[in-house]
Amino acid sequence: MNDAPPVPGRWQAVRAIARRDLLEFVRDRRTLFVTLLMPMAMYPVLALSSLLSVRSSLDDPGAARPPSRLVLAVSGADALPLVAWVRSLPDTVESRAGWPEQLEIEAVAFDAADRMRREGSVDAWIEAPRGTIAGLDATGTVSLEVQLPDVEEVGSRARDHVTAVLRGLADDARRRRMGAAGLPESVLEPVAFTFSGGTAAPGGLSLRGVVPIAAGAVLVLLALLMATGAFYPAIDAIAGEKERGTIETLLMAPCSPGDLVLGKFLAVLAVTLATLAANVVSIALTMTVLLRFMPAHAALGLDAGTVAAAVVVALPAFVGLAAVAAAMSLAVTAASKSVKEAQNTLTPVILLVSGLAGAALLPGLGSSPWVAAVPFTGQVAVTRSVLFEADDPSPRRVGRADEDGRDGSLPLVPLAITLVSSALVSWLLLRATALVVTDEEILFRGPDAVTSGWSRPMPRARPTAWQGFGAALAGFAALWYVQGIAPADLARAILVQQAVAILLPLALLAWWQRVDASTTFALRWPAPDAARGLVATGAAALAGGGLFFLGAAALLAARGTGMSPEAEALSRRLFGFMRDTPPWQAALLVSVVPALVEETFFRGWILTAFAGRSSPPGRRAFANVAQAALFALFHMLPERMPQTFALGLLLGWLTIRSRSLLPAVVGHAVHNAMPLALVAWAGDAAFDAELVSPLSAALPTEIVAAAAVAFAAGLGAFVGATAESAGSPRPR
Amino acid sequence: MIDVVDLVKHYRASDGGIVRAVDGVSLSVSPGEMVGLLGANGAGKTTTLRVLATLLKPTSGGATVAGHDVATDPVGVRRALGYVSATTGVPDRLAPREILATYGSMHGFDGSALRERIDVLLDVLGLAGVADRPCGRLSSGQRQRVSLGRALVHDPPALVLDEPTSALDVIGSRDLMAFLDRLRAEGRAILVSTHRLHEIERRCDRFVIIDAGRIVAQGTREQLGAGREGGLEDAFFAAIGPGAVP
Repeated sequence: MNDAPPVPGRWQAVRAIARRDLLEFVRDRRTLFVTLLMPMAMYPVLALSSLLSVRSSLDDPGAARPPSRLVLAVSGADALPLVAWVRSLPDTVESRAGWPEQLEIEAVAFDAADRMRREGSVDAWIEAPRGTIAGLDATGTVSLEVQLPDVEEVGSRARDHVTAVLRGLADDARRRRMGAAGLPESVLEPVAFTFSGGTAAPGGLSLRGVVPIAAGAVLVLLALLMATGAFYPAIDAIAGEKERGTIETLLMAPCSPGDLVLGKFLAVLAVTLATLAANVVSIALTMTVLLRFMPAHAALGLDAGTVAAAVVVALPAFVGLAAVAAAMSLAVTAASKSVKEAQNTLTPVILLVSGLAGAALLPGLGSSPWVAAVPFTGQVAVTRSVLFEADDPSPRRVGRADEDGRDGSLPLVPLAITLVSSALVSWLLLRATALVVTDEEILFRGPDAVTSGWSRPMPRARPTAWQGFGAALAGFAALWYVQGIAPADLARAILVQQAVAILLPLALLAWWQRVDASTTFALRWPAPDAARGLVATGAAALAGGGLFFLGAAALLAARGTGMSPEAEALSRRLFGFMRDTPPWQAALLVSVVPALVEETFFRGWILTAFAGRSSPPGRRAFANVAQAALFALFHMLPERMPQTFALGLLLGWLTIRSRSLLPAVVGHAVHNAMPLALVAWAGDAAFDAELVSPLSAALPTEIVAAAAVAFAAGLGAFVGATAESAGSPRPR
Repeated sequence: MIDVVDLVKHYRASDGGIVRAVDGVSLSVSPGEMVGLLGANGAGKTTTLRVLATLLKPTSGGATVAGHDVATDPVGVRRALGYVSATTGVPDRLAPREILATYGSMHGFDGSALRERIDVLLDVLGLAGVADRPCGRLSSGQRQRVSLGRALVHDPPALVLDEPTSALDVIGSRDLMAFLDRLRAEGRAILVSTHRLHEIERRCDRFVIIDAGRIVAQGTREQLGAGREGGLEDAFFAAIGPGAVP
């Protein structure tokens, strides 16, 4: 043996892992195909089909169909002079809509005309009896009967052409009458106008309706290809390692699981960024080719400055998205034992995120700042907002306000939100990946465990992390479907929602998985003795109540009194319910029932599942953040999410520290009861027609200060009362 | 060098029950010593070795490698230990030189020191001729030697091998065991588990026989009574009891 080897730096190991994985990826033909070939081939194919479609429908209508033609037979005593008059009509009438490109008009005998009409050899037949020409030159109205063939298709076309011809004749007759009366022709034309400017040539065709749709589709496709670019590398990086038996050797590397995952993430990210580069190059080249072959008079409606600005915004946004796609793919496949299992897991997720990207094109979504924070939706929405006005296909002019005063500046705040969100989501996903990769059950589980999903397990202490995630998904699905069956009456709606969306999936899971209720739902007194338990519970109530007012004050400071229509409608319903319902019943439905049911679900099942047994502080913190995020999402309205997220964090912390659900239940109940207290305090003033809620008017400073004191005192008292619970060994 | 003290490791089975894979195992391996860990399938050998390799956390008890605790200092253990198992593979798309370079870098080697270390290992393991060939085109024996090189690239004083010869033919097994002799002679502590008792019967200094997660016998070949006609195999069956005899 030689001397002790050098001590590696953290980044040296991360770099070595990233370089190793990248070497493997670039030697995999599947990765190269999806990363480079697919984007380079996809955009030209799409553009070619679009170009052919545009050219055939817009560019050269004359070449696309035969020229229009009208064969007109005229009979009667004035047939010859009428035919002569029509043939001598000035060229100006031929620009009239419906005028045939070829006009054949002949004077024929009555019988011949009738026969020709029946045979279909003429498109129309007009009888011009004696006095027709004289009538046109006089001041009266001449009645003409136009007979069409009995073929419906020909008759419809001929009707338009004959109408144009006879109106042209009427215009000319009107001019002759004006001349006979000694009046200038200008009497008939009080307004003359011409068009000038515009990007389309006269008579040209605009693609303004098509471009927003096509640009949106390209952005959605780009987001989707980001995800597919990460697909094979991510699967290869963890599930592939397990299948080849090389994951154990990597876990023996002298670095933390976080560093190992970071190295793999950097390699997957490099491939995903290569996909982005290939996409950008392919889009740019395709656009160059497309514009060259586009009909000259087809107007895109986008100026070069706006397109350049879109690129400036899109590049960082989609680099962030590449990070999210790489981290997401690693996280989703981290638990898979084989490449096939990973493909089966990741494919539906890719479909799901493509839906998220497509959602950015929905009307009304692009204008909300919250949308920018949603991965895949945000990147598409932010980039699209540079090109087009929200809910309006009008192209924007970046760098200057337009005639309507609309701001043409770059959407820097939404871009910043998107980037921060991408970084945060990626970090959370990588943390989760590191936890899963080193999970012994997942790492060394045998194939029997894979196929035993439908067998009821033996009794166990607590649910697994995946069962926590599954419960959340089931809850979300149930919450969605329950909207369709919830009664109009709010009291019954609350009960139905709590029962169907939360209690039902929870009861089914708890029964099936045979978890220990005491461990899973933290059914224990929060402190070693009754007195300290009471102090802890009271402290939780103080903190929960204080948080309500602090959250409301923060919301008012951030948004003012403006609310979305959905939030306003819900507030009106809630306050109406509190006014019209006996206080005990309102307290039960708004405070006690949600506190009991939601705490059992979120701080009971989900937090316990995510935190696991004797987990390190990092995992407990991650579990708390994850369950709080799910809790916030469960409340659906974006305005309420920051407050519910903060409440979720507080209640999760109370549960983790005391290992009891009781403080969280009480804290939640008191938090929800605060609007009732406010209504009781404000009286009828709370229901003034101008006030959506008592909070929308103003929140007195003394209330905010008291809430802050209550919150801080509650936390302090809770920490003191639960000092022993926090330090004692965690139950198995 | 390798010390295992009252090691307990429980698993949760797929049906939710608890499996006591290792139940109070204690053993030690000194520098320059090769110890054979013997046991039937499911006896707890692999679990014990995975705890030593820091791939599993002990339920109770503990283990140290070169003074580093597997529970509290896993990175220190990994720097002092080389680990090879029958299930540890090598990446098909990478060449032996690239694999050794990767793991050498992870352990802090770089530049000319890393290149020299790799050249020495490739030479010693007989891989110099295929050093730049993708592992997917190597034989099983060559791949296992790459795996061994990966475990030795940081020059660890302790080596743990789990069924290292199970995928090798007779020649490959003999070469590998001869190489282990050489590593022991260099002063490394080696703990090796195998089903092929004849391969290690005359190479190991001591043997530890494990059954149902517990040590049922340990000692030198002579102490186990393996000097009789039946050799180590009879001693093994005698230790694990009549129920295991076919």
